Amino acid sequence: MDLLLEMFSPEFLLRHALYASLTIGLVAPLVGVYLVLRRLVFLGVALPQISAAGIAFAFFLHTLGVHLYPHQEEEQVMALTGSVLFVAVALIALATLERRGRGLVEGRVGAAYAAAAAASILFVAANPYGESTLLSLLRGEVLGISLSQFWATIAVYGGIALCMLVLQKEFTFVSFDREMAMTLGKNVAAWDLGLYLLIGLAIAFGVMTVGPLLIFGFLVIPPLAARQITRGMWPFSIVASAIGGTSALIGFYLSLRWDLPLGPTDVAVACVLLALIVAGQTALGWLKRA
Amino acid sequence: MNPNALIRFSEASIGYRGSPVLEAVNLEITRGSFVGVLGANGSGKSTLLKTVVGILPVLKGRLESPMGRPRFGYVPQRDTLDALYPLTAFEVALMGTHGRLAPLSFVRKEMRERTLEALAEVRAEGLADRLFAELSGGERQRILIARALAADSDCLVLDEPVAGIDHTTVEVIMDLTSSLHRRGLTTLMVNHHILSLRGRADEVVWISEHRLVCGPADLMLSKEKIEEMLMAGGG
Repeated sequence: MDLLLEMFSPEFLLRHALYASLTIGLVAPLVGVYLVLRRLVFLGVALPQISAAGIAFAFFLHTLGVHLYPHQEEEQVMALTGSVLFVAVALIALATLERRGRGLVEGRVGAAYAAAAAASILFVAANPYGESTLLSLLRGEVLGISLSQFWATIAVYGGIALCMLVLQKEFTFVSFDREMAMTLGKNVAAWDLGLYLLIGLAIAFGVMTVGPLLIFGFLVIPPLAARQITRGMWPFSIVASAIGGTSALIGFYLSLRWDLPLGPTDVAVACVLLALIVAGQTALGWLKRA
Repeated sequence: MNPNALIRFSEASIGYRGSPVLEAVNLEITRGSFVGVLGANGSGKSTLLKTVVGILPVLKGRLESPMGRPRFGYVPQRDTLDALYPLTAFEVALMGTHGRLAPLSFVRKEMRERTLEALAEVRAEGLADRLFAELSGGERQRILIARALAADSDCLVLDEPVAGIDHTTVEVIMDLTSSLHRRGLTTLMVNHHILSLRGRADEVVWISEHRLVCGPADLMLSKEKIEEMLMAGGG
C-alpha cells in the first residue's frame, strides 16, 4: 500500500513513466477496438513491428552519415520520424491493396510482419555505434522517458483519445456497414484513411515509448476482454480503456514491487484480466443453465 | 417517358471494377411502386440494387433521378453485417439518422426520438436494448428496416430480406414491407421467394442471361411466366 501511495506522490522519481504508461494504457484500447472489430488483429502485430523497423532504419541512416534533421541531434525525434514514415507507408500500401481486392489480406500482413522483423534485426546489426540505445528504444524503456517525450506522449495520445471519442459514431458506422454509410453520402474512403492515420500515429508513437510488445498488448487484449462483458459501443470503448488503464497501473506496481520488466508485466496483467473475465462469463453461463 | 419516374436507367452497363454484369439496362422505377427483383444466384440482382443506391457507379449509359436524388433506405443482406460488433438494436437503427449529421456533431434528441418511432413502426421497440448480434434473423431484419425508416427515406431498397428465414417470419416481414409501401414508400426488393411477391409487388424485374425482363406483377408472376423464366435460367 505504501508503494502504491508513493507512486502517486508528486516526488515519485518515476512519475513521468507511470503517467505515460497509464495514458497509453487508457488510450491504445480506444484505437484497438477497431482493430478487433474490423478483424485486423494481425495488423496490430505487424504495425508495431513495422514501426520498430522504421526506428532501426532511421538510426541506420544516421550511422551512414545521412541525417534526417541536420541540426537535430535528438535521437527521439529521429526515431519518431522513421517510425511514423514506415507505419504511414505500410498503412497506405496495405489499404490500397485491400481496396483493389488482390491477394489474401492475412498473407500481406504476415509478409509485412516477417519483412519488418527481419529488417529491424538487420538494421540493428548494421549499426555498430548506437546498438544499445537502439535496442533500448525498440524495447520501449518507458522508465527512462525524457520530460519532452513525456509531454509529447500526453499531447499526442490526448489528441488521439479526443478524436476517437468525438468521431466514434462515424468510425463505427463505416466499419460496421460501409454500404449503408455510402448510401447516406458518407465518404467512406476518407473516414477509413482518418481511422488508419490515428491507428498509425498511436502505434508509431507508442512503440517508441513502451515498445512493440506492450503496444500490441494494449491495442488488442483490453478490447477482447471488454467485448465479453459490454453491450453498446460507448460501454465497449470505455470498459476497454479502463481495462487498459488498470493493467498499466497494476503492471507498474508489480514491476516496481518485484523488479520485473514493465512491458511484459503489463501484458501479463492484461492477459490475467482477460482470463478472469472469460472464466467469469463461462461460470455465469453455467449457473444460468443449471 | 414516365413523368413519375423516381429512377431511370437508360442503356446502362452496371458491374464491378469496369466489368459489366448487366448491359443495356433500361428500367424505370415509378414513385410509390413496389418492384420485385428476381433472378438466379449471381445473375446481378444485388449489383442492380447497389447501383440504384449509389454504392456502385454506372459503367456506361445513364442513371437519372428525374425528381432529384431520392433518400434511400438501404437494407443490406443481414449476413454481411459482422456479429462481432457489440451494438445494441437501438444503436444499429440510430445509424439511419447519421446521414443528417455533420462530422463532429452529436446525435440530437429528435434523432433518438425518430429512431424510437421507426422501431415502433416495425414493432421492435422491445428489442432496442438487446444486442443486434443476438437477435433472430427476422428480428434483425426488422431492425434493419427500422434503420432505413429512421433515414426518412423516399425509397426502401431491400436485398434479400427474407433469405434464410422461416415461412411464418417471411410472411411477417413481407406484410410489414407491404404496409410501408401502402403508406407511399417506393419499394425495391430482391427476393428469392417468388410467390411471396404475389399480391404485394406492382412490377417485377426478372434478370436472366445479363438482361432485364420487366412487366406488371400479375403477368410476370403467372404460372406460365414463372415456368418460362425458370427454364431460361432466371431463377
